[in-house]
Amino acid sequence: MSARLPSFFRYRGTTARPFVILAAFAIAFALLPTYASGEVGSANVFNVFQALSGIGLVALALGLTMIIGEYDLSVSSTYLLGGMLAVKTGGDSPFLGVVVAVAAGLLVGFIQGFLVAKLRMSSMPVTLGGFISLLGLVFLISNSKSVNYSDLSVSIWLNDPVMSIFSARSLIAIAIFLIAAAIFAFTWLGRDVRAVGSDREASRTAGVRVDSIIIGTFMSSAAISCFSGALLSYSLAYATPNRTVAPLVFATTMALLGGVSLSGGRGFPLGIAAGAISLSLLNEGMAVTAAQPYVTYLVTGGLLVVVTIIDAPHLLRWWKTVKARNNIGFRGGSGQLATTKAGDR
Amino acid sequence: MSGAATTADPIAVRDNRATAIQVALWGSLAIFAVLILFGAFTTDGFLTTTNVKAILSSVAFVGMIAVGTALIMISGNLFSLAVGSTAAACAMSFLALLPDGIVLAIVATIALGAVLGLIQGLLVGGIGANPIIVTIGAASLIQGVALWASSGATLVPPKGDTSYEWLNGHILTIPVPVYILFGAVILLDLLLRRSRFGRQLKLVGENREAARAAGLPTTWIITGAFVLAGVFTAIAGVELGAFNESGSLLIEGNLTYDAIAAAVVGGVAITGGRGTVWQALGGAILIAVISDILLLRDYSEGVQILVKGVIVFAVVILTRLNRMRLES
Repeated sequence: MSARLPSFFRYRGTTARPFVILAAFAIAFALLPTYASGEVGSANVFNVFQALSGIGLVALALGLTMIIGEYDLSVSSTYLLGGMLAVKTGGDSPFLGVVVAVAAGLLVGFIQGFLVAKLRMSSMPVTLGGFISLLGLVFLISNSKSVNYSDLSVSIWLNDPVMSIFSARSLIAIAIFLIAAAIFAFTWLGRDVRAVGSDREASRTAGVRVDSIIIGTFMSSAAISCFSGALLSYSLAYATPNRTVAPLVFATTMALLGGVSLSGGRGFPLGIAAGAISLSLLNEGMAVTAAQPYVTYLVTGGLLVVVTIIDAPHLLRWWKTVKARNNIGFRGGSGQLATTKAGDR
Repeated sequence: MSGAATTADPIAVRDNRATAIQVALWGSLAIFAVLILFGAFTTDGFLTTTNVKAILSSVAFVGMIAVGTALIMISGNLFSLAVGSTAAACAMSFLALLPDGIVLAIVATIALGAVLGLIQGLLVGGIGANPIIVTIGAASLIQGVALWASSGATLVPPKGDTSYEWLNGHILTIPVPVYILFGAVILLDLLLRRSRFGRQLKLVGENREAARAAGLPTTWIITGAFVLAGVFTAIAGVELGAFNESGSLLIEGNLTYDAIAAAVVGGVAITGGRGTVWQALGGAILIAVISDILLLRDYSEGVQILVKGVIVFAVVILTRLNRMRLES
């Protein structure tokens, strides 16, 4: 491959897409005061990076499973679970709370990954079970109520601005993204992970330890998701149980904007970071203009549907069929399509 | 008898495997039934008329959505995470249109459900978009539109309006929605078994590319499954609107998970191609009975959700293990 970009940023020809999208969102955001009412400043950039440490990390977690050609529905529950466990067990030592949250994530990820790898199950039914069970667990340990975290100094430490646009929390998230990016760029792991996502059987034949990669990916995914939940709950100083699949909507949109494909084999951590920042900029834009809650629902849902359509495997086939039909002057009945030559009118 | 099942006779082997599946299925069902019956009869207040009516009502709502979900599953497109939002939005639309007459309210609401299903079905069936992602996106959009149209308010029926009361009525002490559910199940069962659509639906669910190669209109078959799911979810929405006499997005509650869990627990194959609406109904009854027992025994909401999740987990793992054993 050519050396147009350093390997840190490069993956096939699609590398640039997430960054182009990010640039477009950033320009639209910076120019916001020119076409809408609202001020844009460093506080907004601060918020965008804060979001990177919350839902952005969930996007990384989900994106990793999407790169190996799976989909971890349970991230929205592990996100809640991590926060709830951290708040419940971190009363004396916030560090202990994080350890418990991450350990729970590793365990959940191991169970789900084991079922997907060893029993060759599809990740959808497995993570559906995980999603509902863990949601129940969150409601169970919280007794269906919000739980407060008494040590406010942790929240202050995490959220205190650093260089006016960062915080300890967002710097931790950026570090995790950079570590993941380095692993993808400089070790065999990144190559193997994508290989498993592209063609599992071929990878197996080529000597890739497919099962270990799958289990490892699910463990990292759930652990990252739990960790970001813990960070969020500490920074809010409370954890709350709810049934919303909003984290799933945001994280999936971020991953797809970031160049990950649902069919697997494509994507890289910095792209996911770019996708996460893009969507966070959009959300921040809606916050700045004081958009109604329904606008947020419509924009995020609409954007997800649009990126899903672009990512859909048969979009091209559908478009070719439409074009072919127009060419032959489609006269009804699909049989005609097969027997009539293009251009025959 | 076992002598016939040598490797030289693949048909006999296949027959034996089929029998083994049957035995395993019925065996686990029987064990489960015994556990449930034990739980039921040792729970105070389970065998009362009020409680049985409460279970039936719950089955009527969840079952209606579960049979729709079963169609999506059979078509090989997993499940829809938008059914709860669809039901809530339909309950709201029903209540909002009640002042214009109940017939219009019901017809328009069912049409709304059909259109929502049509759009999602075209995306999934036409261009192969991932059903889970399409439906979570759709759920978000539906919630947005519902919030916008209702201005965030809870909808209530017009004062003094009794035109919808029959939906909450009883015939021979059984709630009306139960009859509607049974009618729907019988109709859909006939459709699945006797119609060309039903047979094609299973073929598409078994192997979409093969069905397409064989010339089946896969786009329209999958879209059909989503439209029907939308219609039955909308009917559940109408019933829920009449039952609660108030409509907001909160109606969603656990409906989505309950409906999916019902179809999975009933034995509809989550990977497509196999399953009946009767199974989804059975699953809905099971889920309703379990929820009821847990509620009567004063278990928290968390335990109730957790138990359903664990059951879904157990069923999908057992199904897979069973298949692996039979394939080896």
